[in-house]
Amino acid sequence: MQSAPSLPALSLLLRGAALLVVWWALTLGETSALGFGLGVTALVAWLSVRLFPPSGYRLQPLGLLSFLGYFLTRSVVAGLDVARRLLSPALPVHPGEITLTLHLPEGSPRWLLANTLSLMPGTLSALLEGDQLTLHCLDTREPVEQDVRETERQVARVFGLSLNDIGRAVQ
Amino acid sequence: MIDSAVIAVQVVLLVLGCLFFAVGTLGLFRFSDTLTRIHALTKVDNLGLGFIVLALLPLAPSLAGGVKMVLIWAAALAASATSAHLIARAVHVRPEHSAVEEAADD
Repeated sequence: MQSAPSLPALSLLLRGAALLVVWWALTLGETSALGFGLGVTALVAWLSVRLFPPSGYRLQPLGLLSFLGYFLTRSVVAGLDVARRLLSPALPVHPGEITLTLHLPEGSPRWLLANTLSLMPGTLSALLEGDQLTLHCLDTREPVEQDVRETERQVARVFGLSLNDIGRAVQ
Repeated sequence: MIDSAVIAVQVVLLVLGCLFFAVGTLGLFRFSDTLTRIHALTKVDNLGLGFIVLALLPLAPSLAGGVKMVLIWAAALAASATSAHLIARAVHVRPEHSAVEEAADD
């Protein structure tokens, strides 16, 4: 379910536009800095396409929105979860590691998943080798795998991918 | 009236943000190994900074200023996720080495 490879020219344009928005925010909308900003963003967009060629995945706006909502709520849960454990006198943690087989294709989707998981409740991406992701868990008694699969589904939607066979642990 | 309500909400959010930062730092002392400490630092600090940015948003001088603040939060998130992964990876790749270092720390 891979979308058609995007043209480098289109990537250049999209990345340039995104960078221009960042420039506009960084300079607080200063109009006199816009000319210089155009030059810089064009250069950086060109450099980014050279260093990180378009992967062929197209971001899905709806999937991205849904991912952002999921990410924000789970971030709050993650922060509260660690804070609760830390403030509890008994310090209820049960650290351990699990290794999972990822269903996402390599490249940006796996990279986004690994980084997101580090900010999600109870998980920390330790090692990503091929499709094997080793996670350090704050509490291995929690249904970690279930959470990872849900996050994986959310990431898949960002890239417009569909995952059919989700839900088996390797270990 | 509305102004004072906004200020009240801002104060609550700022205090919450600072509390989360304090709790995250507490994690450095209460947790005993490197990886568990990183859990505390990434997740709780992320929330702390989020609350502080949320509290400061109404004070943004312009739309661009507000976007800039959100960008700062996003940059901090990306940096925290990446550095957390790098430290976890380093611990993982050379576990016996880090165990020696931790013993020396204590």
